[in-house]
Amino acid sequence: MKKSCIAMLLAGGQGSRLYALTQKVAKPSMPFGGKYRIIDFPLSNCANSGIDTVGVLTQYRPLQLNSYIGSGQAWDMDTSDGGVFILPPYQSAGEKGSWFSGTANAIYQNMSFIEMYQPQNVLILSGDHIYKMNYDLMLREHIKKGAACTISVLQVSMEEATRFGIMNVGDDGYISEFEEKPKAPKSDLASMGIYIFNWEKLRRYLIEDEADPASDKDFGKNIIPKMLANGEKLWPYRFEGYWRDVGTITSLWDANMDMLSTTLINLFDASWPIMSSWPPCPPHYIGSSAQVVHSIVTEGCVIEGRVENSVLSNSAVIKSGASVLYSVLMPGAVVEEGATVEYAILGENAVVRAGAHVGAPPDGTDAWGVATCGPDTVIRSGAQVPAGAMIYESGEV
Amino acid sequence: MADFHGIIFAYSSAPEMGELVRTRTSSSLPFCGRYRLIDFALSSMQNAGIRDVGVIMQRDYQSLLDHLGSGKDWDMSRRRGGLRMLPPFGLPEYHTGEYIGTIEALNAVSTYIHDIPQKHVVIMRGSLAANLDLDAAIQQHLSSGAELTAVCAPGAPSETHHRFVPDADGFSSKMLFTRTGGGEGVASLEVYIISKTLLLNMMDSCAAENKRHFHRDAIAGYLQQGGRIGIYMHDGYSAAITTVADYFRANMDMLRADKRAAMFPPSRPVRTKNHEEVSTYYGEAACACNSLVADGCIIEGTVNNSILFSDVRVAPGAVLDGCIVMRGGVIGENAQLKNVIADKYTELSPYITLTGSPRLPIVVPKSSKI
Repeated sequence: MKKSCIAMLLAGGQGSRLYALTQKVAKPSMPFGGKYRIIDFPLSNCANSGIDTVGVLTQYRPLQLNSYIGSGQAWDMDTSDGGVFILPPYQSAGEKGSWFSGTANAIYQNMSFIEMYQPQNVLILSGDHIYKMNYDLMLREHIKKGAACTISVLQVSMEEATRFGIMNVGDDGYISEFEEKPKAPKSDLASMGIYIFNWEKLRRYLIEDEADPASDKDFGKNIIPKMLANGEKLWPYRFEGYWRDVGTITSLWDANMDMLSTTLINLFDASWPIMSSWPPCPPHYIGSSAQVVHSIVTEGCVIEGRVENSVLSNSAVIKSGASVLYSVLMPGAVVEEGATVEYAILGENAVVRAGAHVGAPPDGTDAWGVATCGPDTVIRSGAQVPAGAMIYESGEV
Repeated sequence: MADFHGIIFAYSSAPEMGELVRTRTSSSLPFCGRYRLIDFALSSMQNAGIRDVGVIMQRDYQSLLDHLGSGKDWDMSRRRGGLRMLPPFGLPEYHTGEYIGTIEALNAVSTYIHDIPQKHVVIMRGSLAANLDLDAAIQQHLSSGAELTAVCAPGAPSETHHRFVPDADGFSSKMLFTRTGGGEGVASLEVYIISKTLLLNMMDSCAAENKRHFHRDAIAGYLQQGGRIGIYMHDGYSAAITTVADYFRANMDMLRADKRAAMFPPSRPVRTKNHEEVSTYYGEAACACNSLVADGCIIEGTVNNSILFSDVRVAPGAVLDGCIVMRGGVIGENAQLKNVIADKYTELSPYITLTGSPRLPIVVPKSSKI
């Protein structure tokens, strides 16, 4: 079955900068924005862009991700000639087998999967970005420009540019230089970590790179610079719109708060639905003493307390007299009577007992941060969890 | 339950429901913000492990077909068996308009009933709002050795129903036909567990005498011949919905925590067709209290004692009290609605005032603009 383009979604990273939240699950399966998990965004983008074959490369704690993706039915990908495929590292006859050592190595190890479809192009995606994007437009531009590789880029401010991989562009519009986190950026075009490669070319570079003992087997660090050095045509695809990397506690919290805005990203747009897969719960119930303002609430929630500027995933419970302010509650999180949760993230099924206090408003100091209670943590009655704290399951506070 | 087959009657539309059943049957009435009534019958069966279910439909079944799809949402899209839609086959002798009784409906699909591979059949109406523990009912049916078990409820429904008077051993040989309110015996929920053999016998003997009704003819005949009926008591919530007031009350019942808990026990989840929805957004000036709200809504006004289905928009200044707004409803700014049932995709203009009563709620027909 020949395909014009298939997608490979890198979902193997631990997301170690999310600490307690990714102790037991991979970052792509992190609940996000109420109704979603992070991986819903790239998967839905694929479905909406007409890409029906997606390999999901998993390695770290893949159990939840596997069961969440299932047959891919939620994203209409349970088709007969395509589908969503979970691709863990594996062993071949006579080989020891090894973990994915880098993003490029992960694709290298799964070349036989890609070959099954003999695609002309391969789209490489990350499992930790929040955005809506039509990959088909990018693919068309990639084909039109005859590029070996097209890299999706976002215009950022010059200050921000120091934190990204920056593409410098020549007079002909093609990429002339790639700099990872430059101190003095020459351009404001940041790589979004989304690539479309001509598969024949990529295949050759992956094999070469694998043989190079000095290589980190990474797309940004190795493959792209090698292609540039060899004079391949690399085209920058300029993306405009909302795009966030949610790799840290602060960025995860920020991006969740962005979902409260109707102007940054419109999730209500029926022409580009972000699809997810949760078992149905009853509608959420707002009690007689509840106050819910400027917030997102998902089915299954039961709210008797006060909720402001917050994002509630399904089946969160806010008891009477409790306050949830500027916080993100993942599925099944419970805030008991009289407790306060502010500027915080509560992981799945975390419980804040009566009268406890989690987090604090920004005080302008550098020490301040979003308080995080990992999945299944229990915050004891009356306990205080300071701003910026990170609570793991093991330590009941 | 591999040895049980489900039959759901979804052909009837209670005429007293008026506008609400103009484009659908009672079984596909939207309920409790997210569901169709038939979801409760299907989920009750699914949770008891029943995977082969026939749904008898006759007319106005488009919305039902759309909702049921392949049956996947109830794990009933199976390679063998699974969910089967049973519209009329058009046999001339049954081609006489709406099915008059349940036996007539069964006889209209008699080849399907004959071909049921299981020994027992669970039959029920698709319009019963109840989350039944059919597994427990089936266990009791099997251990009691009954040929026929009726699922009954305590209490005294105000709507017309049939009652069974149980003997000391828990079996009943006496039916009180078409009663209202309380009295002797227990109320039948018209859910029966019956051996396939007995069901076919009832269908055949009724057909021979041109009789069409399950209770009046089949059950009465069975009791007359000395048959005894096992009684299983359902102690959770149940509501038979035949009038607009019933419908309104049953929905409003779901605002009460105890009734909601009985309807949605975690051990017996209610499945429904999955829509693609966003979480609901509450705006800066939103005010909500004692309400059930599905996903995909944008609420910028006031919502009290109401039930909102998915994709409802409540504009700033609008006030809803005791309302049921079905999927896609748009409530204009400063609209004042009290005891209103707005069917799917209705649009209510800004500054409009509509006031009904719980006994007589105002029904805004599907897709209308007021």
